[in-house]
Amino acid sequence: MGALEEIQYKPIPVRTLLVEMKDLSELMIDLAYSSALFHNTDLARDVLELEKKVDNLALLLKMNVMIAARDAKDAKDLLGVSLVSSAADEISDAAADIAYIVLHGIGIHPAVREAFKRVEEQLGRFIVKRDSILSGKSLRELRLASRIGVDIIAIRRGNEWIINPKGRDRILEGDILIVRGTSLGIEELGRLAEGNLRKLED
Amino acid sequence: MDEKHFQKIVDALAELKDTSELMLDLAYSSIILNSSELAREVQELEEHIDDLHTRFELLVLSSGFSPEESRDFLGLIRLGVVTEEIADAAAKMGEIVLRGLKPHPILKLAVEEAEETVASAKVSEKSILNGKTIKEARIADETGMWILVIRRGKRWIRPKPTTRIKAGDILIASGYAEGEEDFKRLVSGSQN
Repeated sequence: MGALEEIQYKPIPVRTLLVEMKDLSELMIDLAYSSALFHNTDLARDVLELEKKVDNLALLLKMNVMIAARDAKDAKDLLGVSLVSSAADEISDAAADIAYIVLHGIGIHPAVREAFKRVEEQLGRFIVKRDSILSGKSLRELRLASRIGVDIIAIRRGNEWIINPKGRDRILEGDILIVRGTSLGIEELGRLAEGNLRKLED
Repeated sequence: MDEKHFQKIVDALAELKDTSELMLDLAYSSIILNSSELAREVQELEEHIDDLHTRFELLVLSSGFSPEESRDFLGLIRLGVVTEEIADAAAKMGEIVLRGLKPHPILKLAVEEAEETVASAKVSEKSILNGKTIKEARIADETGMWILVIRRGKRWIRPKPTTRIKAGDILIASGYAEGEEDFKRLVSGSQN
């Protein structure tokens, strides 16, 4: 285990911290499963980095919650916030446990791949070809989630990873996309990335 | 390991993963809607997943693997443990409402602002979903939101592909915040 960062109090709204913890913990689960499914140690390492981040957020949240409570009523009201934060922290720990499997050469049994074909939310990995209409477009323009029910959770560009890309991020030719969504949507995205499908319907 | 045993492991693992994630979504829904029914559903699923997890571990351990294969099988066991950890986290969140803690406004706002959110909407007479089965409705493909449960009168229904949606149903769904508006439009039938 690496050195632990010194924790510094920062006055950040509890709500902001909680949103970030929820988003990160759920993203980590998908990234971690992807790292197992696609045998990707880089993704697994990113999950471990994110886990440290979530740990720090959890501590910051605890401090801010303690400061916010002035009396017994406040304390009771804020208890739920504290419980959700620790649940998000546990979820991120679970994701880190998957990353550990990948990084320590514990095997991924063929049954895992089969099981992932059956689950509701599927994961996919695609390379963006030159002819793809995705190339050059921002995620905001593409609105993939509402159009085909697919969300891009990470983009690999050269040696860099863009984790949890936002609306202004663009997709470029040669990018590797890690995505999750419905099986139909994933299949559609595969054809869009390949350049076989040239139209995105509303 | 024969094909039948392999398929049993595959099925159990897929169910473990789906159930653990469903529990998370239901737990967040119970907070947003301050619903003890949904919270109880999470607790029931927690008991179900415990049994399922035990069955899964027994299946894995009775596969008759060789020493060389043991790492792959250890991986399976560990993945099962992960789904159990996620389920435990969800159960903890489900407790909030059951312990009579009124969800703090901060909690509601945080769940609503998150990238993945939960939403509910009532099916109107004119909605194109009215009378369709879950499979025909293709809500996830259209909006990126999954139906978690359907509230019909006083009953809670867990959707199957053949479940038919009726006017008056309240659909509770989770998915990407981006699809929430589309979801609400589709369900309420207010789209042109």
